[in-house]
Amino acid sequence: MKNITNPETSVAAAGGKKRRREEEEEVGGSHAANEDECFSLQDELTFSDTSVALRMMRAQFPRIDQASVPPFILQSQLYSSLNDRTQVDRELERLRRDKVVRVFKLNTGQDDHAIIFLDDYLYQVDRIAKRMEENKQSDTDIFKWFKEHVLDSKLEPSIAHHELCSLLALGGKVKDAHITLLINAGLLTRQLIDPDMYWFAIPSIGKLWKALLQGRKELLSLLKRKRHKEMFLAELEKRRLRYSPLDMRFHIRDLIGSGHLKTFQTTSGLVVRVSND
Amino acid sequence: MWQAIQARETGRTPSNSFANRLKSRRISSLQLSNRKDFVSPHRGSVNSLQVDLTEGRYLLSGASDGSAAVFDTQRATDSEASSGLIAKHKCVFSVDKGHEHGHKFAVSSAVWYPIDTGLFVTGSFDHLIKVWDTNTAQAVVDFKMPGKVYRTAMSSLAMSHTLIAAGTEDVQVRLCDIASGAFSHTLSGHRDGVMSVEWSTSSEWVLYTGGCDGAIRFWDIRRAGCFRVLDQLVTQLGVRPPILKHTAVNSKVSAEKSSSGGKNRLKNQHGKHTGSQNMKGSSSTKASVEKSRQKRLHPGMLSTLDRATAHYGVVTGLKATNDGMYLLSAGSDSRIRLWDTQSGCNTLLNFETGRLQTSKAIQLATSDDPALVFVPCMKTVKAFGMWSGRTTLMFRGHYESVNTCCFNSTDQELYTSGADRQILVWSPGGSVEDEMVQNEEVTEDKDNWSD
Repeated sequence: MKNITNPETSVAAAGGKKRRREEEEEVGGSHAANEDECFSLQDELTFSDTSVALRMMRAQFPRIDQASVPPFILQSQLYSSLNDRTQVDRELERLRRDKVVRVFKLNTGQDDHAIIFLDDYLYQVDRIAKRMEENKQSDTDIFKWFKEHVLDSKLEPSIAHHELCSLLALGGKVKDAHITLLINAGLLTRQLIDPDMYWFAIPSIGKLWKALLQGRKELLSLLKRKRHKEMFLAELEKRRLRYSPLDMRFHIRDLIGSGHLKTFQTTSGLVVRVSND
Repeated sequence: MWQAIQARETGRTPSNSFANRLKSRRISSLQLSNRKDFVSPHRGSVNSLQVDLTEGRYLLSGASDGSAAVFDTQRATDSEASSGLIAKHKCVFSVDKGHEHGHKFAVSSAVWYPIDTGLFVTGSFDHLIKVWDTNTAQAVVDFKMPGKVYRTAMSSLAMSHTLIAAGTEDVQVRLCDIASGAFSHTLSGHRDGVMSVEWSTSSEWVLYTGGCDGAIRFWDIRRAGCFRVLDQLVTQLGVRPPILKHTAVNSKVSAEKSSSGGKNRLKNQHGKHTGSQNMKGSSSTKASVEKSRQKRLHPGMLSTLDRATAHYGVVTGLKATNDGMYLLSAGSDSRIRLWDTQSGCNTLLNFETGRLQTSKAIQLATSDDPALVFVPCMKTVKAFGMWSGRTTLMFRGHYESVNTCCFNSTDQELYTSGADRQILVWSPGGSVEDEMVQNEEVTEDKDNWSD
């Protein structure tokens, strides 16, 4: 597993914007040389298989040190990376049933789903359990019960209240305070759709969730300001987003998959344009 | 083309495969008609279109200005000489606000009586459903509803009943009987208004309703309560679920419909909360909580406890395929899902829709032979292959958002209408002698600079 460190954060502290962009291009060049990986999105926009795509995108997930979030992939990114969307849905369903990945519904107001490998998620749950144990001595068995009983049997992104209680009860006596503990840890959340349902959530997702929304808005406004609302993909990829620590590749894939941007081939390479449908 | 006809004459190709091939060739070349045009008398957005089921000749439209009109799709009203190359079809008659029995507010749904074209039924936002006599253009029966009527539907298969199913902003779906003039059924179970209603094409007793709460329910009108609630998380991979080798030890299976044992077990394996039938015979600890709830409710009302959603938003359109095996649903979360009606599972087909209208009901259309779904997506109408989910045709022509699509399979023409008050006709382009061209190239503008 390759850890892509983000040296831009250290470089960004020094110097103005223009210098930062030049340095970042150099760093980009050295990245490609060092890590044997194609930096250009143009070449690896599409993959052949869902699990290959998931692994590659997980490896490309930007490592942000402040937030300890496991690498996630959005479903719209998968749609943009593979040709056949129905195939993507079905393979994802197969992976989900085989307990390789887990799907979470993000509370962005649109139909966003995040896909995380189950190992990463369980590692995260363990870290939180450990942290909670250091803070408070009591009631940490709830995380164990959560992991063993709830996560194992409930593969959907949401769970009803009574079902949650009954599944946790298989581990021991469950109180409302336990559920509060789970919500505080960030593993469960509620959304506006239904007051009776809990949704599984990625812990400490808040910063990245905000980054996702702001990054999308910024990228779309960047393109809309252009005269013909389009730009070369190679050039777009080199720009940095001010409001989002997630990299440009992440946002481009996401917006193409959700239909806000479309790409077409020209003689000088791929061009990205805001779709007006 | 002529070789194909000769092959049919000599018996090398069977005649129905010749007809099917010709029909699918025509459907693949649909474009804005340069031979036919409807002169729309409506002064509001056209909300509903239906071609009559007996002859496939008369088109009924209902609009937001409270008017409903009937057009003849085969005979132009103007003579050839005066109107030039395009045949203009004016409405045969129309009933609007000026009519003494006309609707006062928008007509949201206008459907033909399925047996013959002597009657038609309109539902409107003025809380009334009116049944009209076509020949005299008079309203014969009125039904007063508790809320705005979003959709009315009559079963095309019905041999023993003439019930109008009405979805309103009230949570209950009402069935109105024309013969007696009264309400025969009230179906409760939805938790918000019901925006789309559709009768099954395989059984005259089964009704599908889609609500503003995102749920799709199947009702058998001979029984109390709905027998299935569709859940988007209960999925099957592929068109038909595989029969499993091992069986899950589960007594819930016996309560299911007995269509196929394998399918039911697949469904029960990966969804602990899959519908109201499971609540009866189950033996896990979860059921003890529900059993206490169960004692207080009539068995027909158990389905109200099931809160599964088919869409993360309002269900804006429902369409059953003609063979009765699948149901298409469109939601305001901009997704179109294809459901298997026998097993109630989501077949996970992904239709590449961009954005769909969220506040208004839309009407989908299907065609059988190149199995296509016609969907109004904002200002365009897209045709998706039903089993691949890809966009095969795109129809741009409306100036505002499109509300309805209606496919006339006898003539292979598509009628669409929208907020721009127009009813557009899309007919197979080109002359009869043209050979089949590739699908994607025909209707798209090849110039890159005009988008």
